[in-house]
Amino acid sequence: MASTFKTLLNNDVISTRSMLHEALPVTGTIVSGTYNNGTTEYNIKNFSHGMFQSVYDYPYLSSSANHIFDLTLGFSSNSGLSASSPTVAANPQQAKKINVYNQMAQVLVGYDITGNVRQFDQDGDLAGGTKLKECIFINLARLLTKDEIKKGSFSMTVMSGGTSIAPSAKVLVQDVNALNKYKVNSPAGEYAILYSGSGDANVNSGAPAPAEGTTPAGLIYYQAGVVVLTASLFRGATTFSSRTLIPTIKPSTMTKALTGSYISASSDAFRNRIVNISFNNTTELNSTIYFCRVNNNEFNYSSNPTYLSSSKLVIKNNSNDTPVSYITTIGLYSADNELLATAKLSEPLKKSPDNELTLRVRLDY
Amino acid sequence: MAFLDNSGDIILDAVLTDTGRMRLAKGDGSFKITKFALADDEINYGLYDKNNPSGSTYYDLQILQTPVLEAFTNNASSVKSKLLSISRDDLLYLPSMKVYNGTGYEQFDLTGTGENTFIIAVDDTTVKAINGTDSTTSISTNGILNGSRAAGQSGAGSAKIRVDQGLDTTDISDELGIDPDLLETQYLIEMDNRLGFLVASNAPATADLSFIDDDNIATYYLTQGDSGFVTIMTTTTPTNIAGPRGSNLAFRIASSITLKTNNYLFNVLGTAGSQALGSMDGSSSGETYRYIDTFIAITGITTGYRIEVPVRYVKQI
Repeated sequence: MASTFKTLLNNDVISTRSMLHEALPVTGTIVSGTYNNGTTEYNIKNFSHGMFQSVYDYPYLSSSANHIFDLTLGFSSNSGLSASSPTVAANPQQAKKINVYNQMAQVLVGYDITGNVRQFDQDGDLAGGTKLKECIFINLARLLTKDEIKKGSFSMTVMSGGTSIAPSAKVLVQDVNALNKYKVNSPAGEYAILYSGSGDANVNSGAPAPAEGTTPAGLIYYQAGVVVLTASLFRGATTFSSRTLIPTIKPSTMTKALTGSYISASSDAFRNRIVNISFNNTTELNSTIYFCRVNNNEFNYSSNPTYLSSSKLVIKNNSNDTPVSYITTIGLYSADNELLATAKLSEPLKKSPDNELTLRVRLDY
Repeated sequence: MAFLDNSGDIILDAVLTDTGRMRLAKGDGSFKITKFALADDEINYGLYDKNNPSGSTYYDLQILQTPVLEAFTNNASSVKSKLLSISRDDLLYLPSMKVYNGTGYEQFDLTGTGENTFIIAVDDTTVKAINGTDSTTSISTNGILNGSRAAGQSGAGSAKIRVDQGLDTTDISDELGIDPDLLETQYLIEMDNRLGFLVASNAPATADLSFIDDDNIATYYLTQGDSGFVTIMTTTTPTNIAGPRGSNLAFRIASSITLKTNNYLFNVLGTAGSQALGSMDGSSSGETYRYIDTFIAITGITTGYRIEVPVRYVKQI
């Protein structure tokens, strides 16, 4: 009986999972400077609520723009920066900064046994130790991080000291050895501790690499795609403001930026101190592999209209000649003969009774 | 679609079709791959030089250099010509299919195109304009089917479409029967469900629809047991198959309610006609019409042979 289909058996179908990684470098000039005309940064989107700032890789009004990350900052209500009687003039957006901190903390750190929101912990040991009460948050877009950030791949260089006009003390922040040492006590997935190297006065040279366990600088949540930097990283900065846009507003310290500036202004200031960010993302590919096994006596004829001339096979002179066909396409079908997937070979593959083939078709989900 | 890079190792470019994605999205378990087929859509076997004096290595030199397109995601665009498994290696002839054009099955002659087609008059007004009398009288012009009353109503007429299968060669006597393993007893018919549906040649029975895909292409499976559709031909059956006969598939086409009741698809997909169709001259006031050209794809399940029958839906507008 002639047939055009072959049934796939149980051992012809297997499922696999593989990780795909992409390297993502984000240069500092993209996040500050490139799309700046002196008064407006066209790739930076601020919102009327003022809770965070979005950074794009191109002027955000263009459909070509891709969202890179969001910036915001906040502090705990237990922080010394939290004024008991805040005023709009002296403590703009204090409630919002506390709300931002609490929101990020409840998602990333969770609640204690009494139901209170935990604070970010410097070493990940939630039972005690130093808490990160004043933080800068970098929420990386899913477009970049995909399923998760690859552990041990995150690297960020910032200018931690000097003035906003003349920043200095280049610092490298990395998740050192995170591939082998990370935490799993966050409700938002796996995370690791970020460490910073010592500041380098020579801004044109590479910053010293940090070592594991030396200077904690924050936390990185891999699946959530969030970087939490301690504000103390910038304690050496003598002014902390946007270098290009509002040079007249120069909070003298990071502390004053946290208490006396709007979130957008402090985000501007931080953004202007970013030299680069780089990491590898991870995409989890679930695949099903179909082994299409073609035996020697199968698929040797074709229903191609050019295969026949007056019903005679054009590839044969007489009946003893070997039939031959050429495979270019594989169709994967449902039981009711609906074509669900197709695969194409890059070149025609000869099929005759002299050979057998196994075509491995992988579908990724 | 671009061509696949064929400069290095053989690579395989696999994609889900739009129907596959639709079934996956449904989440009802209908996405289950159970079988595969192989095809050679890009291959022109006319390039096979079986008499090349340099030897068999040169027979398929041009075929092996054929560039292959990337995979189409449209399920109706891929795997058109399937490869065939037959246990015998000594076959010199394979059956093909031809549109039968004998009495009662004639095609309409489209002047100036070099091609013929089947005309489907979609509503009573069009039928009346074509036969010049009324809508309950059969259309006498060859190749024009009454799509409005195809399901056996008065005026349905005897015009039908038929496709014959067999060995179309004079090398083998038509007295001989076709090999049983090459006989088509089941056909797959694909047609645009927005335009019409299948009716048995011995109307009023209609064909059971198997499924409609995401592009509104309806699929029907018709077997030897479906009366009025599939018939095994004998040596006395009139046919234009020159050699041993297999089976034939005959049917009528009824126009869809959509075509009958509004002009939207004729405006979007159609063209203004000018050729006279019976008494409808196509130019006089009240006798202008629009038409939609399409085709009905018929595939033999056994041999995978596929033929596309051209069809023109016509409506007086």
